[in-house]
Amino acid sequence: MAALSAVANTLYSEAAVTTTEHKQTDEALLIRRAKNGDQRAFEALYRSNVDKVYALCLRMTGNVSEAEDCAQEAFIQAWNQLSKFRGDSAFSTWMHRIAVNAVLGRMRKSKRDQNRLEIVADRTEVAPLTSDEGALRDLSEAIDRLPDGARHVFVLHAVYGYSHDEAGSMLGIATGTSKAQVHRARRLLAQQLKQEGFTE
Amino acid sequence: MNDKDDIMMDAARLSQSIAPERDLWPEIEQSIVPQPRRNWTPMLAQAAGVVMLVAASSMLTYFMVKDDGSASLSVQPEYLFDEASFGGTYNLGPGFTDARGGLASKLDAQLERLSPEERADVEANLKLIRDAIDQINAELAEDPDNAHLQALLLKTYREELTVMRKVSDLTQAVMSRTDI
Repeated sequence: MAALSAVANTLYSEAAVTTTEHKQTDEALLIRRAKNGDQRAFEALYRSNVDKVYALCLRMTGNVSEAEDCAQEAFIQAWNQLSKFRGDSAFSTWMHRIAVNAVLGRMRKSKRDQNRLEIVADRTEVAPLTSDEGALRDLSEAIDRLPDGARHVFVLHAVYGYSHDEAGSMLGIATGTSKAQVHRARRLLAQQLKQEGFTE
Repeated sequence: MNDKDDIMMDAARLSQSIAPERDLWPEIEQSIVPQPRRNWTPMLAQAAGVVMLVAASSMLTYFMVKDDGSASLSVQPEYLFDEASFGGTYNLGPGFTDARGGLASKLDAQLERLSPEERADVEANLKLIRDAIDQINAELAEDPDNAHLQALLLKTYREELTVMRKVSDLTQAVMSRTDI
């Protein structure tokens, strides 16, 4: 019985590896076709990545319409810069970088246009934004209320697992600043959740 | 484990994949569809060509009918001018430039001999042609090696010259008949 289980496990792992390889091969093929101007291939890349890109945009902006705009902008930029994608990193990681740039670009523009207050007001009206449940939803909403700098670093580092070096590079800030912002974010989140009685 | 550690652990469990509430693709697709190359033939140039031809024909017919058919007009089908040299930079040939300059300098005086309606017609047509020339030149500034644009510019200049020559011939004819 144990032997049978081991065989089953081996088969399962091989199947999983094969599926992953297939997915990577498919993605590489789609990227190659998209680089040659195939919009249907790019649409397939969009379909398989949009949820991840949108989630990042939503976590970073805390606003549905801003997140939609940023995600769209990210894919448009990706299409325009596809020739620069060399495959050194996963396509989804490359998309994340572009999405972060799209978010930062939009926020800079929003600040220039002095629309930030409207966006903050809008953000408070739209809840819940994510599919997180229970305590995670509370945390998610508390993250939305963080100051921009702290929120951006916290999302990249704590939610998406990027190192401080990577997060700093994506956001154009020093590694030390990234660490300081995460520390600040954790403190603010702890305060918020405590005030609202979500933690002991 | 303190609250801050809990926060970091919970944060790592937050969903990293969220479907947008609407399909974002249509707007993306609209932005990435290659924009058709701007039609190099400006609408105004095309319109000018048509209007000018119709108006010039009408004008000629009007003069001939009005003057009882006694005026014999000898309008040459083509006017000679040096071949223009085109390329990255383009210049009108000196023969053409001289012909155009000579006709243009006399045009105002010749227009004075026409009735206000006739003059307005000619001026409106010349304006259309000259606006078209400006537009084609603007297009050529962006795409200086476009052979079609160069040909169109040449043709439009030629049409301007033709209209000016026709005005000249007509006013000469009017003068001859009046002077007799």
